[in-house]
Amino acid sequence: MTTDALLSARKVRKAYGSFVALNNIDFDLPRGERHALIGPNGAGKSTLVACIAGQLPGVEGSIMFKGREVARLMPAELAQRGIGRTFQISRAFLQMSVLENLISANVIASGRWFSLSKSLLCEASDKAGEMLSTVGLTDRAQSTVADLSLGDRKRLEFGMALARDPDLLLLDEPTAGMSIKERHHLMELVAQRVDETGKTLLFVEHDIDVVLKIAQRVTVMVRGGILATGAPAEIAANEQVQAVYLGGHH
Amino acid sequence: MSLSLRMSPGRWAALAAAVVAVELANRIGGPGMSLVLAEMLILALFASSLNLLMSYGHMVSFGHSAFFGLGAYGFTLMVTKAGLPVEAALVFGPITAALGGLVFGALCVRLTEIYCAMLTLACAQITFTVLFQWYDFTGGDTGITGFMPARFGMTEANFATLTLVVLGICLAAMARIVGSPLGLSIRSVGQDRWRAEALGLAPRRVQLAVFVIAAFFAGIAGTLFAVSQGAAFPDYAGLGFTLDALIMVVIGGLLSFWSGVIGAVIFSQLRHWGPLVTDHWGLALGIILMIIVIALPHGLASVAGKLSRLLGWEGRK
Repeated sequence: MTTDALLSARKVRKAYGSFVALNNIDFDLPRGERHALIGPNGAGKSTLVACIAGQLPGVEGSIMFKGREVARLMPAELAQRGIGRTFQISRAFLQMSVLENLISANVIASGRWFSLSKSLLCEASDKAGEMLSTVGLTDRAQSTVADLSLGDRKRLEFGMALARDPDLLLLDEPTAGMSIKERHHLMELVAQRVDETGKTLLFVEHDIDVVLKIAQRVTVMVRGGILATGAPAEIAANEQVQAVYLGGHH
Repeated sequence: MSLSLRMSPGRWAALAAAVVAVELANRIGGPGMSLVLAEMLILALFASSLNLLMSYGHMVSFGHSAFFGLGAYGFTLMVTKAGLPVEAALVFGPITAALGGLVFGALCVRLTEIYCAMLTLACAQITFTVLFQWYDFTGGDTGITGFMPARFGMTEANFATLTLVVLGICLAAMARIVGSPLGLSIRSVGQDRWRAEALGLAPRRVQLAVFVIAAFFAGIAGTLFAVSQGAAFPDYAGLGFTLDALIMVVIGGLLSFWSGVIGAVIFSQLRHWGPLVTDHWGLALGIILMIIVIALPHGLASVAGKLSRLLGWEGRK
């Protein structure tokens, strides 16, 4: 583990039967960095994110977060320790309004989920109101999630992930299915928020333009392993990476 | 489902209408009608407790009658075996049911969806079998009878009104829970446990909490039923009561706070008047249920909600 690493993974391995999705991954994420994971489909990007978020059982190896081993912790415990996340397929509370979703996130973040207190609900509502403005959904506050566009759902999910003020944000394909304009809007919002609050960002992304614009460092994954890590310009110039993206790597 | 369940003018009017209706029925319909009303109100409470589990926790239970039965037996056994005064024994019904909810819930929340539902059924069957076969303690299939006059010796009319008051208090308590941070957490886990977990919530703890709360209210219903009958029988924990409550919630409509009440009113009246109209009332009930499920997937509460909005009783800020 490097001295300034917020997250450090060593020999992380995840297999589904005979299929090895992650093969002895070593990965360091310095505090305050915006880091992108890229690679072709099936490379293991989302699996790595899911392992870090505690979503998958049977993960081998070590994952240190803020100096502590977290590889076998449950997602709720990881959230409590400072890992916030969004999902590849948007997950929000579908039968609730946008505002209720953010209130729920703030109630849960307070750690007093069992409370009957109305004052807690008022506090959570105030924070949710601020969050609505942060993610640009004030005018959709009373809409149910089912009525939101994909872009707005992703914004909402991002807002919910921020409720606990996490040290590390994991965004799994945050712009998937969005228009080019929506992608850039969302990721500019994410980058701005991350920089303002000094958070660390790890995101999986397929849009290279977005990656080059947002990431400070990029890791390229192929077939469950890491092919290259470096600054966006280095990665763009890397012949092996170009081969992967142009179909030359088999 | 609205987060706020404040008493709007429409709801106050509905409550007042309910009190007037019960009083009128007591005076005009006589003792027979009063008993039907009392049973309907008890079933409304029982179905509402199941609705809490289903509409908010999104957990289907095939064994909710276990808590109804435990409530009834918790009360009667405290009178017959522990020798407590009837008034003091009343609190032990809901407490016994809640303890049952804690034990059964701890098992059931380990599973999800149909597997959880089947486990609730198994728990209820175990409860029923113990009540049915433990002759020395529970009286077995003959139940516990003759330990007190039915309804405390209150008149049928008074008892129906008392039941309405208890139902009102319980519904107010449930509304408070649903509109609280706890209620929001229950809804969060019910709607997407993965998202709730990623936010830092342990889903099983929340599900266990709603299980115990629902069991507590079902225990109050069971206790009231034992008081009204002056007896307790193993059937109270049987599959029949669970199915009745499930039908009531479906008739009322999932995802509505009032579905238990609406369903109980419709179901009880159908069960009471149906056999007087036709020998095939079971068939009629099946057809009605089929129509509601197909034409009104959110039950009759959705119609009541639309009507309420149309009359301007809901949606005002």
